[in-house]
Amino acid sequence: MTASCTRLAARSPTPGLLEAVADKLLSGRGIWPAVPAIIALTVVAVIPFIILLSLGFSQIEMERGTIVSQSFTLDYLINALSDPLYWTTFQRSMTLALTTTVLCLVLGYPVAYLYLIGGRWTRRAILILTIAPLLTSGIVRTYAWLVILGGRGVVNTALMQMGLIDRPLRIVNTHVAVLIGMVQIHLPVMILPLIALMARQDRRLEEASYNLGASRLGTLWHVILPMSAPAIGTGTALVFTLSYTTFVVPQLLGGGNYLNAATMIYEQVVYSLEWSKGSVSALILMASCLVVLTLIAMATSRITRWTKGRDA
Amino acid sequence: MMQVPVAKAEQATSAAVLRIAAVSKRFGSMTVLQDCSLSVAEGEIVTLLGPSGCGKTTLLRCIAGFWNPEEGAILIDGQDTVQTPVNRRPVGVVFQSYALFPHLTVAENIGYGLRMRGLPKTEIAARVAAALETVSLSGLGGRYPAQLSGGQQQRVAIARVLVLEPRVLLLDEPFNALDAKLRGAMQVDLRQLIKRLGMTAIFVTHDQEEALTMSDRIAVMRAGRIEQVAPPEEIFDRPATAYVADFIGSSNFWQAEAQAGRVILPDGQDLSTSLTGPVRVMSRPHNLSLQPGALGPWQGRLLFQRSVGALVEYHVTTDSGDMRVMAMRRPAARQPVEGDTVTLGVIDPGLCAVYEP
Repeated sequence: MTASCTRLAARSPTPGLLEAVADKLLSGRGIWPAVPAIIALTVVAVIPFIILLSLGFSQIEMERGTIVSQSFTLDYLINALSDPLYWTTFQRSMTLALTTTVLCLVLGYPVAYLYLIGGRWTRRAILILTIAPLLTSGIVRTYAWLVILGGRGVVNTALMQMGLIDRPLRIVNTHVAVLIGMVQIHLPVMILPLIALMARQDRRLEEASYNLGASRLGTLWHVILPMSAPAIGTGTALVFTLSYTTFVVPQLLGGGNYLNAATMIYEQVVYSLEWSKGSVSALILMASCLVVLTLIAMATSRITRWTKGRDA
Repeated sequence: MMQVPVAKAEQATSAAVLRIAAVSKRFGSMTVLQDCSLSVAEGEIVTLLGPSGCGKTTLLRCIAGFWNPEEGAILIDGQDTVQTPVNRRPVGVVFQSYALFPHLTVAENIGYGLRMRGLPKTEIAARVAAALETVSLSGLGGRYPAQLSGGQQQRVAIARVLVLEPRVLLLDEPFNALDAKLRGAMQVDLRQLIKRLGMTAIFVTHDQEEALTMSDRIAVMRAGRIEQVAPPEEIFDRPATAYVADFIGSSNFWQAEAQAGRVILPDGQDLSTSLTGPVRVMSRPHNLSLQPGALGPWQGRLLFQRSVGALVEYHVTTDSGDMRVMAMRRPAARQPVEGDTVTLGVIDPGLCAVYEP
């Protein structure tokens, strides 16, 4: 590392400066090592987002393709907040995201527990089965659900063959189909942080718990669960963010008439070409998402306050 | 090869708090414990001593109930515990790295077992306070384990099991996580604490000094078997097997011939034995004497010498093999130099041991 720095420095016209920057970036102190990522994100995400947001707060008058006047306005935001359609849409998004998150946690935690208590092969199998779905894109997996849940899909065919139903159930284009798709798509994102933590878990803590008289359930509740709180926080935050802002699953499995926040923004921008409306909707989406993430972070930090005093 | 001295058999009566009877444990085709038997009396501290992989930790885990032996019985107060689930055994384990719950405070760690037993909060608080007092940690109940020193963590781990008043205390290399300087003092403290509380304890270590400091009796283990169980002095003075002699302290071995119940020592003295034919004789370095010059039948050449405080360690090559001698330092004028011819002698033939070759 030092050698390459020296070589770079030797070729550079201002060796002192380049070497100083390289040293800062590699020294690992403060935010310096994150600087390249910060610059990249500023260029590709922060600046475009600010431009997008500015559209939601400016009154633009145009004549023959040129801007004649531009002024600050809160009209779009006020209109959005007073429109019941926004409230029901965001409420639907929020309910869907929270339900998905809770279901992913409820379904994912037992898998992580199995990983914890499992042997080498069980652990490998769980890891492979968790990562495998991520190798195909979300769109492909969502189309797969169309095939499975569709009118002549696997589920309906099987139910009809068994004589349980006379005609196909309507699953696709319903809330249930969207929820099934959402849980399946986001489950690995919940499981991965959990099993990463379980892999590091000291198994002797469980033995100590049993030795002190705790049952399996008592050990799960008093030792394993509280100690996995950091990973539950991470998984919950990731799944919530992804499912609150998701577009593909509701669009495909909801059959184009399932309106959530992301599909609404898509329609406003792509179909109605109302960029200002879309911009304000995006702001509301981001702000409400941050509120929930903050609540998750606060709850996690409260539960895991024992990790803070480590070096005290 | 397994020898449990007959004198210890009387402890295998109902008075024993813990009795391990012919326990064997296998993992697949590998036998890790074979026919281990051991009795521990009320208030006794017994150490399982042996190199890593000898089965000492396996035996400890069988007593705790984390594993179950395929054969044999583990009795606590006369009751076989093999069917007793791990969380119902009256056994407290102090783990190698203490296994304190990092998310619980010191007081919550100590109260954990009482809480699992469903005791009322006020009683838990009172007993936790008493336990903190016992291990001199009063005032630290609100800290998290990560905020304590290694020695303090060890005391929390001990208090956490003591508060449940187990019949047997199991300690798995409790000094491993401490730095060498602390160990000596902590060993003495821990022994005194266990004695003061009258606890019966099994202590696992690979460190013979630790074993000599801590134990009333030592069980030396080798490849899944218990080779000898005896008080530390007896283990040192009368090792039952050549392995024990070699493992504990330093020792000199040489080949000899036993005839008519006697073995002639290289210096001309003799020693009685029950063996006949070729044998190995063992003497501790401090049981050999060294004189400068050619004065007797057991002569050799001094290879190397070094002072160890008031003592001098000599390495001497003789016809019987290389010997180590520990003796008091002589006045400088009479101290041999390397290369000199010296004469060795056995101080007390009774302290030599005779083994099968």
